Amino acid sequence: MQTTSSPIHCIVLVKQVPDISDLRPDAWDTDKGTLRRGVLDSILNPLDAHALNLANRIRRDGGRIIALTMGPPQAEEMLLDCLARCADDAVLLTDRFFAGADTCATAYALASAIRRIVRDFELGSNYVVLTGMQSTDGDTAQVPAQVAEELGMGQIAYAERAEWQDRLLVHRIGPRGKETVAPREFPILVTVTSSDVPVHRSFHRARAALLQPVPRWSAKDLDLPTERLGLSGSRTQVVRIFSPDAAKEGQCRLLTDAAQLVKEIRSAWGRGARKISKSDCPEYELQGREPAHTGEVWVFAEQEEGSLHPVSLELLGTARCLAKPLGAAVGAVLLGDTPGELGATLIAHGADRVYVAANPLLTDFRPVPYKTALTTAIARYRPQIVLFGATPLGRELAPRVAYAAGAGLTADCTQLEIGDFERDGKTHVAVLKQTRPALGGNIMATIVTRNSDTQMATVRPAVMKALPADPDRRGEIVAFDSGVNETHVKMDVLDRQPLSNDTRLSEADIVVSGGKGLGCKEAFARFIPPLAKAFGALLKAESEVGASRAAVEEGFIDRHHQVGQTGLTVQPRLYVAVAISGAIQHISGMQNADLIVAINKDPHAPIFRHADLGMVGELDTLVPALLKALQQPDSVAS
Amino acid sequence: MTKPLDVLIAGAGPAGLATAIRLRQRLREANREASVVVIDKAPKLGYHNLSGAVFESGCLDALVPGWREEKDPFIQGMVPVQRDEMFFLTQTGARQVPVALVPKAMHHTGDHAISINRLVRWLGAVAKREGAEIHLGFSGREPILDGEAVRGLRLADQGRSTHGDHPPGMLAGETIEARVTVFCDGSRGVLSRQLGERLRPSRNPQVYSIGVKQLIKLPKDNDFGEGRVIHTLGYPCPSDVFGGGFLYDMGNNEVAVGLILGLDWRYPDLNPQRELERLREHPVIAELLKGGEVTATGVKTIPEGGFYSLPSLVTEGALLAGDAAGFVNMRKIKGIHYAILSGIAAADTIFDALERDDFSEQALLPYKKALGRTVLEPLRSARNFRQVFQLGLHLGAPLSAVQHLLPFGLPTKPDHEALRPGLRLHHDDATGMDKATFVNLSGANHREDEPSHIVIRDPALCESCEKEYGAPCVQLCPGEVYRMRDHRILLSPSNCMHDGSCSVKCPHQNVIWTAPEGGEGPRYRKM
Repeated sequence: MQTTSSPIHCIVLVKQVPDISDLRPDAWDTDKGTLRRGVLDSILNPLDAHALNLANRIRRDGGRIIALTMGPPQAEEMLLDCLARCADDAVLLTDRFFAGADTCATAYALASAIRRIVRDFELGSNYVVLTGMQSTDGDTAQVPAQVAEELGMGQIAYAERAEWQDRLLVHRIGPRGKETVAPREFPILVTVTSSDVPVHRSFHRARAALLQPVPRWSAKDLDLPTERLGLSGSRTQVVRIFSPDAAKEGQCRLLTDAAQLVKEIRSAWGRGARKISKSDCPEYELQGREPAHTGEVWVFAEQEEGSLHPVSLELLGTARCLAKPLGAAVGAVLLGDTPGELGATLIAHGADRVYVAANPLLTDFRPVPYKTALTTAIARYRPQIVLFGATPLGRELAPRVAYAAGAGLTADCTQLEIGDFERDGKTHVAVLKQTRPALGGNIMATIVTRNSDTQMATVRPAVMKALPADPDRRGEIVAFDSGVNETHVKMDVLDRQPLSNDTRLSEADIVVSGGKGLGCKEAFARFIPPLAKAFGALLKAESEVGASRAAVEEGFIDRHHQVGQTGLTVQPRLYVAVAISGAIQHISGMQNADLIVAINKDPHAPIFRHADLGMVGELDTLVPALLKALQQPDSVAS
Repeated sequence: MTKPLDVLIAGAGPAGLATAIRLRQRLREANREASVVVIDKAPKLGYHNLSGAVFESGCLDALVPGWREEKDPFIQGMVPVQRDEMFFLTQTGARQVPVALVPKAMHHTGDHAISINRLVRWLGAVAKREGAEIHLGFSGREPILDGEAVRGLRLADQGRSTHGDHPPGMLAGETIEARVTVFCDGSRGVLSRQLGERLRPSRNPQVYSIGVKQLIKLPKDNDFGEGRVIHTLGYPCPSDVFGGGFLYDMGNNEVAVGLILGLDWRYPDLNPQRELERLREHPVIAELLKGGEVTATGVKTIPEGGFYSLPSLVTEGALLAGDAAGFVNMRKIKGIHYAILSGIAAADTIFDALERDDFSEQALLPYKKALGRTVLEPLRSARNFRQVFQLGLHLGAPLSAVQHLLPFGLPTKPDHEALRPGLRLHHDDATGMDKATFVNLSGANHREDEPSHIVIRDPALCESCEKEYGAPCVQLCPGEVYRMRDHRILLSPSNCMHDGSCSVKCPHQNVIWTAPEGGEGPRYRKM
């Protein structure tokens, strides 16, 4: 249990990343279709700055803040920045052996450095490891969870605020709403999504930082075996980098009839996301060759209060596609207190076997008990592929499971297929090729697993397609012992509140945004929220209201709704821009939406260069017609 | 209380960095130690510098001997001027001005086309190598004054909210005390301007021009011409607007295109960003830039009053150098080398003052002498150049050739007094880039919930200004910072590119440009 008198120290993991908020034309290599990282600024990963802010709230009674990074020698500049804010010390891990590391190898090196910091600075167990939830370049959110796994710590993810009462309270966004949690023990790892009190760089601290030695540790300084570092310690490998949707501009279809527009949107929505290139299973044949991996294809079935997250059924559809050429069975793992009833649903949607662990400690999601149960199952049944939804829960859980199981993991995949892969003159037959966006969606990377038996991936919700339920399918329910006990519970959830509006905007499937062209606050209120509601009702999905910066500045709606370079970046399945001209600042905040619909009275508005579907006309007649069409979609003539 | 710095340099541009480099060199040679600290509001070296630029690189010999051999990308990327032309543009045509008619000071052969951002990055590396401290992202709010003496600087607050209150975590502006402060904060610098208000005013008020610029990437097979620099007169400026355009080959298939306009124009609806588009759409220019894509944009003001507009250059504990001092020669349209040469002069003066431990005005006065031959003499010989153009291009051009023969100094009047309420240009024909794209390509950004660093003294005046002049700031600002809505002024300070032209031109002098938080503003990398 926490003691209240001893100092609490903070180790903050920071990373230098390219500043993708400032993408100008020269940042693109038009020949290769990728970003030139060299022309982008190197900055402190923005969420890591929040982690420093939160560390400043958590440290107590003379506790120190120690900033740690792994990177090239130039990363020292960023550490000086941390010292100019609130760090007391800084350590730079730098060695050519670290280069090319995936998340596992990175986490191993960072965790080893943390062990040495704890020893050198005599922190005992009274410390908290903090870091940003994810970095803007890797964007995987895996390293923090894997550091915690290597160090055997509990993890509190998505922290927004922290305060001391009689114990440390961390306010976080949980899978089901805002939570207040308290760690049961130290050390603990906290990943940070925002902070309430900023710490600014001080000139006098910046001067002092120049005089302070920043130790540089190599692999040798930490006695690390080189085979666990860098590329050789990695369990994933990038095999291809390419440009997403290079040919998209100029393809906007302009429609004249609101009913027709609704029809097109419905049909695009029904087809699933635009980014899936093939809705059917990709063709692949073993042709009698020996596959590189054996075992079942598994899906982690995510459930909340007795109902399945839709992504679990989508994953089952994908798993069937992948399993078919492999001749493998499809399994689903279901955790909870009495999860058995959901087994039938999973079987109907494609599972051959449902592995069930029933334990009251698994009622609510907590990373360590869930990880323990899953690794137990993986060790026992040895699947070749495990898929997770890239939901908040999945992104917290999958990295730990992968690390504990010694498996490679690729986060946020938008495409999965079985294929062959050549390495060192050897053909790896029938491996899982995992494609994901990186650098804020500006490049795509295809990744394969190496040096591990199990291949793992997380997949964004609403990207894959679920199979229709087949009540006649037969399958088997297999109960297993999760091995979870009370010592796996590292924190208490003290309070939980449903999510508020602004936190939902970045997660919503549908965003309807209004711009300055609406003219006044009343028009915004009259058109935009009803449109959002109508789209949500029609497509049976979460919908939210957004706005351009100009609309916010005009006072049409408050700043929490601002989408764009300086507001929120959203990536919904459907983005509707009403009376938004499409300044680049706005485009950069929504261009990765799957389907973009623009409604504007100016046919030359730049927004049409980025939209898939559009309508041109006076808003006063167009929007009511659209609302009407949305409310009576079935009366539409084809 | 921390010990005062020996030398604080406000502004990491060519002037400030030259000061730092020369001073550290002198200290090293004399085997002495003194703290030399440079601060700048830009987040990275060079981000708040903008220039054409055709550079008289010879001045570097005095600062970094052997610079030509350095393996820096800046040195390697300098483009020697090989072809130097001047065109007079009519609405659709262009006539080359014969070389014989171009005054000698306007010849550029032997110079280099450079990016000032790269120059500054290199100078910063040299300064660090010499042992100067450079701290970026720290914005000076005001000089600490003791009568006419300067004791250091106070930084801007960080983390204030739109409501102007003191939210948790706010860092109140830190105080930096220094034995001597060098003001190198550039044209319309916040710090030098406040200091100037305390000291003896210049003989003539300072006058400015505004420069708007784009960097254009041409297709690989373009025939713009290696090392070619072109200056233009005439279109798109009416003959009573002082100004001209430029196109410089920057190497690597990139061309810098810009337009410089004297801010003493009379037209309330003159929109420099649009005028640059009109220049680019001129058939002759458009042909030169065919297939090009704009990759970066920027804007700055240029102090062009010259010799008679120079402020007090010295006071107790302070010197001014570079653009902040008004060291620009409009006959040459050049200032970078004066910035560097004035930095060298400042450093030499300060070194002697450190030796004698005396920073009184008297002890710093030798600065003027040190500036004499290299900076003040050329400015003196161009002393009436800008003024004669107040008469318009047709009278001004021939007069400019003999301006230095006038036995007296011609006066200037402040730029904002030139506006004529009823005049209109009606130049709405350009179809090119809009302001939103222009500001995006400058990389400008500020924290959205920070209080506006642009302060409107009396918003009611804006309402009457709209009636009288049609709100010239709305037209002028290339960042679309100003908009009128229902006869009220609306600001988007986060678009600001820190040029300060609004505060020059506002007919009611109703705009106060204050220091925003450090690390914000434009991000110029190759301008």
